[in-house]
Amino acid sequence: MTTTFYVDRPSPIHRLNPVTKLVAMLSIIVIVFAIQLWWVAALVVLVVVVPAAVISGTGGRLLSLALKLLLPILIVLVLIQGLFFPEGTTVLAQWGPARVTVEGLLFALGIGSRITALVLCSLLLLITTNPASLMTSLSKNGMSPKMSYVISSTLQIIPAFQTRAESILLAQQARGLKLRGNPIRRIRALLPLISPLILGMFTDVEERSTAMEARGFSSTATHTSLMIVPDSVVQRVARWVFVALAVASVVLSFSGLLS
Amino acid sequence: MSTTATPSAVDPHRTRNRIFVAAGGIVIAATYLYLVLFQPTEIAEGGLGQSSLIAIVGYVLGALLIAVGAIHRLPTATIALVPVAIAVNIVVGQIATSLGLPVYLDSIGTILVGVLAGPAAGAVTGALTNVIWGMTLSPLALPFAVTAVVIGVLAGYAARLGMFRRFYLAPVAGLVTGIVAALISAPIAAFIFGGATGGGTGALVAAFRAIGNSLLASTTMQGLLSDPLDKVITFTIVLIILFALPSRFRSRFPFVRQYNVFGKALPASETLGAPKSTETIADGPAPTTTPPKED
Repeated sequence: MTTTFYVDRPSPIHRLNPVTKLVAMLSIIVIVFAIQLWWVAALVVLVVVVPAAVISGTGGRLLSLALKLLLPILIVLVLIQGLFFPEGTTVLAQWGPARVTVEGLLFALGIGSRITALVLCSLLLLITTNPASLMTSLSKNGMSPKMSYVISSTLQIIPAFQTRAESILLAQQARGLKLRGNPIRRIRALLPLISPLILGMFTDVEERSTAMEARGFSSTATHTSLMIVPDSVVQRVARWVFVALAVASVVLSFSGLLS
Repeated sequence: MSTTATPSAVDPHRTRNRIFVAAGGIVIAATYLYLVLFQPTEIAEGGLGQSSLIAIVGYVLGALLIAVGAIHRLPTATIALVPVAIAVNIVVGQIATSLGLPVYLDSIGTILVGVLAGPAAGAVTGALTNVIWGMTLSPLALPFAVTAVVIGVLAGYAARLGMFRRFYLAPVAGLVTGIVAALISAPIAAFIFGGATGGGTGALVAAFRAIGNSLLASTTMQGLLSDPLDKVITFTIVLIILFALPSRFRSRFPFVRQYNVFGKALPASETLGAPKSTETIADGPAPTTTPPKED
């Protein structure tokens, strides 16, 4: 399985400064959650996400990932809120305890449109942004190097851990471990997997922390980065515009002008 | 390790980071109280008012503030432990899902770090687990970062209080953690996801809604049915693993020694001074004094 969603393409969206994309994504999410109109979320998807996906050439990947993540949630959402919405008054159909109400369906539409916008925006950021350059530019903007170390290093060791877990599981099965049976039995079967995983983790960590200390990891001096992430004045201005839009949407939402 | 001995020298922004952690805690508590006390009245018209905005902004901001403030306090040895703990969370969580277990088991690493290295380390592990989960598996994990922070913090304080000294106390700590986790995450499930966090949990929410409960009450009851059980099992698994480990692994952590987390009185040489130096001495001359083949 792949570690991250990142797809390398030579596109202008990929070349944008990662912080610009992050600020844009966070602002859009705030706007979509502040202005509770489902068509605002739909508009964001049509005006921002779809063109950006087409320009970056990652539309297919975005669509397949988004469907895989969103479809189960949206189906459950429509089933829960569409059928069981006790606050609803306009009943369209009734079947036993389940009532299809207009209010319930509208509620599901509101929640569903926001979750869809959230997933599409964050997937687009992750697909078009190399995690390493995201970490570099965040560190340059004041994020603790400890934070970027933890995130980058975790992304690298997860595949190794998955392989290790698989081989431990196979080894234990060869010794007669049964993975079937009732849930309590299956939970007990996890123990012989987890203990060797965690023992291995302790020995790794010892070596790594000594190596990090020897290279001045905890030094508080300004770190020099090997990677140069391009930035521009236009993007710096764009970031502030996005933040201003997000703040404006929150003010608008609390001022009650929308309802 | 020289850094573990001088934490004040490592952290030049001590006050600022304390303010971050305190502000994060206040933001999370205020968000929860607001959402519970002022439940949206517009729900009858199919809207939620500002509840979903407050839920997502308040919880994500609070979790980030705590993680940013807490990470500065961690020595290098703990920082090196965090990525592996996150990998344990994610890999075991995935295996639990693929084996079709009725529990999540996605916080083993967080609780382990909380017990061995304290509440701050637990909070950082929890928050970054959900960030990584969001970057690799599903962005929808991000709003739940606050729950993971709370679990890591509570595991740390449970260890400090001595809940890992007796085998029957750790499941109790798990139960309490699970209840708090369920209460904290209920507004996320209700106001951001509309109760649709998964197939099985969604069916429970639908059942509670069908009886006529409010959305927040339904997700709270659903959480109280699944979270405490999961945390009791996870705390028990962590306890079993920790006691299966050689005690020199456990007593390597300053937090474990300072609060006597596992309750065993340690030899004077280990409690007073560098345990690392005694180890290297013990490892060094071993081949000459004793034959290495013992089995």
